Amino acid sequence: MKELVERYKIKAYYLALGMVGNKDEAFDISQEAFIRVYKAAGKFKPDRRFFPWFYSIIANLCKDCLKRREKWDSRQIDIDDNDFLLVAETNPEKIILKKETARNIRKAIMRLDFSSREIIMLKHFRDLSYDRIAEILKIPKGTVMSRLYYARRKLAEILSEYE
Amino acid sequence: MSEEKYRIMLSGYIDNELSPEEKRDFEVHLEGCADCRKELESFQKLQEVTGAMKYADIPEQVWEGYWSSLYKRMERGVGWIFISIAAIMLLCFGCYHFCADFLLNPEEPLLLRIGIGCGFIGFIILLVSIIRERLFARKRDRYDEVTR
Repeated sequence: MKELVERYKIKAYYLALGMVGNKDEAFDISQEAFIRVYKAAGKFKPDRRFFPWFYSIIANLCKDCLKRREKWDSRQIDIDDNDFLLVAETNPEKIILKKETARNIRKAIMRLDFSSREIIMLKHFRDLSYDRIAEILKIPKGTVMSRLYYARRKLAEILSEYE
Repeated sequence: MSEEKYRIMLSGYIDNELSPEEKRDFEVHLEGCADCRKELESFQKLQEVTGAMKYADIPEQVWEGYWSSLYKRMERGVGWIFISIAAIMLLCFGCYHFCADFLLNPEEPLLLRIGIGCGFIGFIILLVSIIRERLFARKRDRYDEVTR
């Protein structure tokens, strides 16, 4: 179990972070996902790949977390307090994004519906191939392309509102 | 091929996921479609903007303590399961004796039995409600780590 945790903890945390946009909740979800894996270890078929199964556990926990947030906390998370995405560039001369743009991206991503946000995070922030995304989300490759198209269109629309 | 299909292919095009034939076909369409060119430009801009961002890092000591924190959480989970089983068993035992020895005992005055019975039910409902509320509040407490 420890080996599994060491291998997947970072992936689990960042996947959850992209979907819930809050560091504490993402940390909590990543740990809860391992507990679910431990409890359901008997149900896992060895001929299946581990990561898509693990991913579905994380995605379900994220959905529960977002539902709970909607139900119990009428305020949406404060984007300024949840800087889960930052400008990667360190060289001031090469900085093409200002802090304001980064903030807008965070806000826009959090306004997407779950399935759009999920596919944007997998492609844009984890840089996975369509085959890999199809395997993880258990959907055909063509659906990955169409879902990604509509998600990008939505994201671009939301971002244009901030410009 | 319909316009919508070409639009969807836009994603595959910028991600380099189209087959050589699809790519050629799409590029021919792109030449004559101003809307697709405009959308391609907006997607490329989106890619550029998101490509210049990264996830916020987490301090190394958090990763170092990850396993021990998870282990403690699992250990506590097992503890809670046993405590819950014990509590349910004791509660059932208590309820059974309370009903058998007092509520259904004809030797006790009827009015007293009804009164205490109602009070007991009310107490159980309040207890369950408070426990449920506390459990949700603990998960949602933003100021849990604040030292008062």
